[in-house]
Amino acid sequence: MNGQTSHQQPKDRHDDDATLTEFLASLMDYTPTIPDELVEHYLAKSGFQCPDTRLTRLVAVATQKFIADVATDALQQCKARPAVIKDKRDKQQKEKRLILTMEDLSKALREYGVNVKHQEYFADTPSAGLDPASRDE
Amino acid sequence: MSDGGEAEGTRDEQNGSNLRSGDGDYSRAISRVAMAQICEGVGFEGFNESALDSLVDIAIRYVCELGKTTRFYANSAGRTGCNIFDVVQGLEDLGKPLGFTGASEVHTDCVVSSGAIREIKEYVDMADEVPFAQPVPQFPVIRERRMIPSFLQMGETPAFKHVPQWLPAFPDAHTYVRTPVWNERLSDPRTDKIELARQHRKAERSLLNLQQRLVCNGSSVATTSAEPCNGGNGSGVNNNGNLSLEKPLEAEDIGVSRVSIPPKLSSQAQTEKQVSLLETFAPAIEAMKDGLDSGSDGEKTFPEKRDSVFLELKGGKKVFGEPLDLKIRKAVGRTSSWFGHEGEKDDKKRRVEFILRQSLENQQELPQL
Repeated sequence: MNGQTSHQQPKDRHDDDATLTEFLASLMDYTPTIPDELVEHYLAKSGFQCPDTRLTRLVAVATQKFIADVATDALQQCKARPAVIKDKRDKQQKEKRLILTMEDLSKALREYGVNVKHQEYFADTPSAGLDPASRDE
Repeated sequence: MSDGGEAEGTRDEQNGSNLRSGDGDYSRAISRVAMAQICEGVGFEGFNESALDSLVDIAIRYVCELGKTTRFYANSAGRTGCNIFDVVQGLEDLGKPLGFTGASEVHTDCVVSSGAIREIKEYVDMADEVPFAQPVPQFPVIRERRMIPSFLQMGETPAFKHVPQWLPAFPDAHTYVRTPVWNERLSDPRTDKIELARQHRKAERSLLNLQQRLVCNGSSVATTSAEPCNGGNGSGVNNNGNLSLEKPLEAEDIGVSRVSIPPKLSSQAQTEKQVSLLETFAPAIEAMKDGLDSGSDGEKTFPEKRDSVFLELKGGKKVFGEPLDLKIRKAVGRTSSWFGHEGEKDDKKRRVEFILRQSLENQQELPQL
């Protein structure tokens, strides 16, 4: 396997290089949500030494992608929970506010190998511990 | 985006942040905003504080872990500066638990065609660009450190031969050597005398004013100061005194006429003579007052010579007599010096002075009588 893949054509390699440089150039146009200064601060703490801003952007984008993936999974968890049915508000049954809760987050992160489960008695919302029927937005 | 849960107060948050990974509050706050924006981009409408804090923790750890791994790969290659290949390898390392396409072909010659990069590329193409909400300044801000000046900069030579000049200078001796401290009271005899004289003059003046008030109340006859007792020209207590004074005044008629000092007896010429006497004495009095350092007394001018006359009348009261005697002599002495300076009214004043001296001598003789 390794032998097959190592015999890449120089042309392909050239293309790959070009792709990478293009991608790095395009990174400079894309502004990641995480500011560069913050990423630089934490990278400096870790010992990452590189004056090239493209690499910092790359790290920022990678982190953003990671967090976005986690958030997307949590959103799906939130949507997958059965909606609360109210008798009077039949029209607004399926409409519920999508709130990032600790439960959804912990379920989503478990796949990523991160264990952030809170205790059962941990109350971070006013409706924590109440009956599901009386649980409202 | 609004908060989903209000149970956790801000105070708890701040306390919690202190116990967390030890990051600065500023960087954590920025991370919170960034995470909230990402969640909003994904589709969330609200979040719990605890959930957001956890997400922030995870994001920060991800960045730190990626930096560490990248540095590790760079160091493994014998470098200290990281490059793109180190970053890609780090990404692959972090992505392995979840898996990415091409994970089995990792660590080949060409890292460029890594699956991790491909995924990131897709993300960049797909996701909406959501820049950070606010401008972030460069941090952490490094302050200029004030260096201790070296021996060369201080212009000193180190005491020891083995200490080079470019090293920071030693602290000054007074910072570590304990020297005895005592209270030094500077006793300047001159200032003491001046102070004493000032106090004397102050007492004098207050006493004169008191006399003046007494005179006014007692409807005095011969008062040099026309201002306070303009109308009070009754022949009261001071008649006796005036009579006694007649003798010295009349004796010097020759000189007196020019000076126009009133005899202090005839009530007719009193007002005129009062004014003239006031005029005569006014400059001396003013000079005396100006010469005094303490100008706090806003009292009206009152010639000292006049007071000597009063005291003479009330001969029994030695309380006024004795101390004021000295004061009068002082005043006379002073006035004489002033008179020496003023050349215009010298004659008048000399005569006044002479008369007063005569009165003083008589003052001493009177009790004996």
